[in-house]
Amino acid sequence: MPKAENKGLLIFFYLCIAVFSVICFAPFVLAVSGSLSTESRIAAEGYSFWPRGFSLETYQFLFGSKMEQIVRAYAVSLTVTVLGTVSAVLVTTAYAYVVSVKSFRFRNVFAFFAYFTMLFSGGTLPWYLLSTKYYHLDDKLIGLIAPYLLSVFLMFLMTNYFRSIPHEIVESAQIDGAGHFRIFVRIMLPLGRVGVVTISLFYALQYWNDFYLPLMLVTDERLYTIQYLMYTMMANIQFLASGNAAQVGGAIIAPPLETAKMAMTCLTVLPIAILYPFLQGFFVKGIVVGSVKG
Amino acid sequence: MLRKKGWLGLLMTAVLLLGACSQGGGAATTGTNGSDSSSTDASGNEASGELAPAKLKIVLYGDESNRMKELAKTEFYDRIKQEINAEVEFQFLPWTEYAGGKTDLMLSTGEDFATYTDANYMVKSVAKGLYADLTPYAEATADLSQTVDEASFKAFQLGGKQYAIPVGNKPNSAEFYSVLIRQDLLEEVGMSEVTSLAQLEEYYDKVHAAHPELIGYAGVDARRMLLYDYTDRNLYWQNDFVALDEAAQDDQIINWFESEDFKNYAKLMRGWYEKGIIPKYAATNVPQLQSDWNSGKAMFWAGTAARPFEGAATISQAVPDAKLVNYFLGEGRPKISRGTYSTAFFVSSAAKDPERYVMFFNLLQKDQELYDLFAYGIQGTDYTLDENDRITRLTTDSLIPDWLLMNKNFMRFDNSVPDDFIADYKAWDDDAIISKGAGFNFDNTPVKNEETKLNGVLTEYLAPIGSGFVDYETGYPKALDRLKAAGIDKYIAEYQKQFSAWYAEQHQ
Repeated sequence: MPKAENKGLLIFFYLCIAVFSVICFAPFVLAVSGSLSTESRIAAEGYSFWPRGFSLETYQFLFGSKMEQIVRAYAVSLTVTVLGTVSAVLVTTAYAYVVSVKSFRFRNVFAFFAYFTMLFSGGTLPWYLLSTKYYHLDDKLIGLIAPYLLSVFLMFLMTNYFRSIPHEIVESAQIDGAGHFRIFVRIMLPLGRVGVVTISLFYALQYWNDFYLPLMLVTDERLYTIQYLMYTMMANIQFLASGNAAQVGGAIIAPPLETAKMAMTCLTVLPIAILYPFLQGFFVKGIVVGSVKG
Repeated sequence: MLRKKGWLGLLMTAVLLLGACSQGGGAATTGTNGSDSSSTDASGNEASGELAPAKLKIVLYGDESNRMKELAKTEFYDRIKQEINAEVEFQFLPWTEYAGGKTDLMLSTGEDFATYTDANYMVKSVAKGLYADLTPYAEATADLSQTVDEASFKAFQLGGKQYAIPVGNKPNSAEFYSVLIRQDLLEEVGMSEVTSLAQLEEYYDKVHAAHPELIGYAGVDARRMLLYDYTDRNLYWQNDFVALDEAAQDDQIINWFESEDFKNYAKLMRGWYEKGIIPKYAATNVPQLQSDWNSGKAMFWAGTAARPFEGAATISQAVPDAKLVNYFLGEGRPKISRGTYSTAFFVSSAAKDPERYVMFFNLLQKDQELYDLFAYGIQGTDYTLDENDRITRLTTDSLIPDWLLMNKNFMRFDNSVPDDFIADYKAWDDDAIISKGAGFNFDNTPVKNEETKLNGVLTEYLAPIGSGFVDYETGYPKALDRLKAAGIDKYIAEYQKQFSAWYAEQHQ
């Protein structure tokens, strides 16, 4: 292929990607700029890419009035994400390993059990009953972790990954006298590192972004996560704006300040935005490897 | 192998069943213990004159403010404990869970709590047996029934039984039948009042010339405020499809979308849309309209009795000298009220002590002192009163939401509300009549499928025609086909049947 043509094409692709990233980036810039603007200018003139009447007032207000709540919610989110990701990865890889061991007679039964839940689920009401009345997960930290411990999709992803590891390695370890636990910890996990990082990232994102479990299981505000705080705020605004509020006796409740909404958004997105670029490399590699060898 | 599997399955089922039974048994025993203790307490009660301790859970929707959190654990807690010997826990849920979502789950799984409801949700939940019948506890509402309108109680009765206790008593007749005008803009363009559609459009033209950046109407539904111009009847809507003519003393319901009135209304709205009174973006972005209004970028809105001062508080952030006044575009038709309540509290059917919940609702509207406490907090810390009893709030945190408690017998105004506003407000309901449909609750079970389909047709075809986005002549024939296909005739017939039966019962 002539070099010049190649270069032209490359420039074209880069341009496309650049435009696309700008489009993706724009709302975020609006949010940051909104959070740094003054409320009255936003109300009067709307959003802009550059803060209108630069001020840190909103953050001062947020940290002043809700500091305790936000810091606590951050702590809960972090704890849940770290503990949740670690335990979920352990559970998932262990299950995946069991399903991938060829000499295990019931491996297909276990695979089917897991697969079955992908097709059929009991629905919200039984789930809620089971979680609150039988497992007593309500208002406990473990309630924010346990329900997501095993994602069947990620488990199968991991199983495929383990299967792609040459069986000879496992065999030689067995000849040397290694049991399943040793094989799993010493061989499978290190060799499946890319897969492990991939599912970790999926789990971390899921735990960090989740607001459903706190909504369903938590009433104690000490266990609110940052996403749930955010969700409550947005849900209230949307409900009030939708006109459904008229049914509730014409309730008029002053919506939270626009700038406060934006500041909350920034606070919630920030950690993920910072972390993501560092993990991205693993992420892409993991998916590609999993798909080719699966 | 197969046999082994079978045994394994059986074993697992047995374990599950055992687990379930033991849990259920546990619940059952606590249940009987609970009723045992309450019965002994009831007898002990007579001896000592004191109530047994109880635990209540009140669910409220919206954001819980910091001050509310504090008070819920201190003054509210102590005061309620002292009054009715109950420990009350307040739980706040997002508004999305109102009348559905988690509220549904909590009801279905037999949790012990109380929260507020509207008539629609009540009908659905009572059909599933999820609300406690509160009729036996009428005595516990002795104070509340002095300050809450009697008609409000009727709105939450089904088959003669009281399923929810109304709270609030505020003038709310003719909701959205008036036009809420930015009086400051009106005066700026040299006008003094708006009493007809022609004047309203004149107001729009003049302000539009002076401030082209402002939008006209911050809404998409003007069927109530425009009533005087497209029909002679005094229409009052039961829901999106059914209206009543309050001027006629009969039980005839009106199929709104097939009426001549709808046609005339749609044409008026088309005119507004083409003229730009309703902005073009309204078709796709309704929430934006409200934020435009809140930030002072709209000329008028649908009015209610309270909006002149409630709304002014929001707008004044962006436009400090904004002034809001209600106008009717015609006269001679009595204002219609659905009842003066704000909302109503129900108790879940699993509640151990429904009576204590009712006693708590009673406290909310009992007297000025308790009202002040729940709505405004502690005098001196959260608010001050001047010599005219005008309130100055020292915190912006809302406590038990004041729209919910709002009772004209107790409510306080701040200094920014002029005396004549208050006088107008209090007299708002004076010439109002209660809708002849008030207290009727439609049971949608027989036409559930039709209703779902109709709602689809409404959003897709009829709402755009009603708001003027689509021309009546071109859009209506197809919309009508869809309406018929969705089963509007069956729906209307069922509604008429139930309404006639109910109406006859009321007028025996």
